[in-house]
Amino acid sequence: MSTATASHLLADLLATPRPAEWAELRQAAEARLATRDLPTTRDEDWKYTDLKALDGLAFTPAPSVPVDISGLLLPEMVGTRQVFVNGHHAPHASCVSAVPAGVRFLPLSTASEACHALGTVGPNANQSVFEDLNTARFSDGAVILVPKNLKVALPLHLLFITKAEAPVASFPRLLVVLERGAELELVEEHHGEGTYLTCPVVEVRVAEGAILRHERVQRDGDEAFHLGTLKAEVAKGGQYHSRTLSFGARLSRQQPWVRLAEGAECSLDGLALLTGHQVADTHSFLLHAEPNASSHQLHKCIVDGKARAVFNGQIIVAPHAQGTDAKQQSRNLLLSETAQVDTKPQLEIYADDVKCSHGATVGALDPEELFYLQSRGLNADDARNLLTYGFAADVLTHVPVASLRRALRQLVMARTQADSLGDLS
Amino acid sequence: MTTGVPMLSIKNLTASIHGTPVLKGIDLEIKAGEIHAIMGPNGSGKSTLGKVLAGHPSYEVTGGEVLFEGQNLFELEADARARAGLFMGFQHPIEVPGVSNASFLRLAYNKKAEAEGRDELDPLEFDDFIHEKIKLVSMREEFLDRSLNEGFSGGEKKRNEILQMAVLEPKLAILDELDSGLDIDALRVLGDAVNKLQRADRALLIITHFPRILETIQPQFVHVLSGGRILKSSGKELAVELEERGYDWVLEEAAAGGAR
Repeated sequence: MSTATASHLLADLLATPRPAEWAELRQAAEARLATRDLPTTRDEDWKYTDLKALDGLAFTPAPSVPVDISGLLLPEMVGTRQVFVNGHHAPHASCVSAVPAGVRFLPLSTASEACHALGTVGPNANQSVFEDLNTARFSDGAVILVPKNLKVALPLHLLFITKAEAPVASFPRLLVVLERGAELELVEEHHGEGTYLTCPVVEVRVAEGAILRHERVQRDGDEAFHLGTLKAEVAKGGQYHSRTLSFGARLSRQQPWVRLAEGAECSLDGLALLTGHQVADTHSFLLHAEPNASSHQLHKCIVDGKARAVFNGQIIVAPHAQGTDAKQQSRNLLLSETAQVDTKPQLEIYADDVKCSHGATVGALDPEELFYLQSRGLNADDARNLLTYGFAADVLTHVPVASLRRALRQLVMARTQADSLGDLS
Repeated sequence: MTTGVPMLSIKNLTASIHGTPVLKGIDLEIKAGEIHAIMGPNGSGKSTLGKVLAGHPSYEVTGGEVLFEGQNLFELEADARARAGLFMGFQHPIEVPGVSNASFLRLAYNKKAEAEGRDELDPLEFDDFIHEKIKLVSMREEFLDRSLNEGFSGGEKKRNEILQMAVLEPKLAILDELDSGLDIDALRVLGDAVNKLQRADRALLIITHFPRILETIQPQFVHVLSGGRILKSSGKELAVELEERGYDWVLEEAAAGGAR
């Protein structure tokens, strides 16, 4: 069934010319892809996320097209913005005039010094088909290099936009390297319209004592397929905090992979707001490789209509990773009878002196909470909408860029029908 | 003490939860300006009475009648009762993450204002309004920006309940176990706040296990509830007697007299 078409999809995309740069990386990816196929629901990792909707769609490489980003600008980041459209750098939409001295924030195509670092984060095995597809055919991407001890005062803004008139495939790429003691806030957004496949690959390297706060917003178009990979290595005492907010795409999958060295700290939060026939899947992998690292994962989904949310949270505590503190929570709110959630914590603990906890809840709104709000004069609909909004907005409380936080709250209000309740910020 | 039509009139009220009768025939009248206390041992049904009046969906009213300002209370949903001027301070207030206390308070205020045909307050106007109100309960400003009750201590939650009461200015406030989770100082602050909010056109129903709170909020009427019935009604001196002697003697007296 889908297998034949799937191979067709891979073959079609790989039949396009291979870009000249990073030849070695690309050849290795292509060699792996030669023996592989798109996953099907027979693969344990893809049991609940069916890619057969890709059937019958012929994706061609996305061309560079002009784009209007006026609605996407955020005041705190007007001069610290790089824009990529269909995987190509868009110099006219970008503006880096306010990027502090010393910070390198460039398109990959002009950052030859990044060559050696690209493709090195994470294990040199188990690449997903979509990661390899990106490596084989990405045309450009962004590089961020923050030198030793530089605490970047302004957040950086990355916009990956896909515009598809016919079905296209785009391969956004991002490499973030924070040297020792550096600090950065980064906002990475994905927007788009039309029918497309986007397979972003993000590599993050946080050196000793460095801190990266990474906000990720997925607002792809209703007909988009978003199959993303994130790999982060956090060195001793470093911190990596990411929050992935999924609103768009008919089908999306996030695969964060994080390795924590000694004393590193990590938060890996997620929110998915789904309706209609949307599917959002998060398969996370968190490796406590060394002692005394802490991780905190809060993943929330609000699922309405016939939508489906999937969460698989794998945490590995290595044998000598004593003193590990790992906390995982998967909380899911079902708003309709036909909505579906599959959630699975997967903790593998090989050390004995650790503090690990996990919890998963799937359910409707709590009648006691509804009663409380109604007893204060809110009618049943308003009470429901306010609780639904709060369930989602809880994840947004600590978004550091004020204008982004406001915009996200408004988006959540609109999606939870809470906008009639006035300003809730 | 006060004359006129009662604000709340409860007649032979019976109610059950999941098929188990909890209230077995309650009669009670509360007039504007009055403070009543419902006391009783644990499991007596006193919290149930509060929840039934407030409209908790888990309880089924199986008989009797409750009129609130002449209107059949059971024709109103919980939210309509609130907008009509009934307020219940919860024994265990609910935490709502993601919604700031201030915006929740403003929303509740504006819903009531809308129902009463008064002007709604915008965030700036409400800011001035609420800063006056928090002084009444000695709440720190930071609690306005935090999510509603989230991570609040037991005492902070109770402070927030009385703040909500101050914001909504109900005609009848039912305070369920206000004293639980409060230290003596907080109890005095909240008791004083409740006293300041009490007026000739308002009434209070204090539900409590311990008489301690009644030293600050002094009721004119004290009722002992047990086994789903009011066994004894008297003046505030009854609270003192309960403090000294406990509840058993009331139960024994009722059993001996065969009275309800």
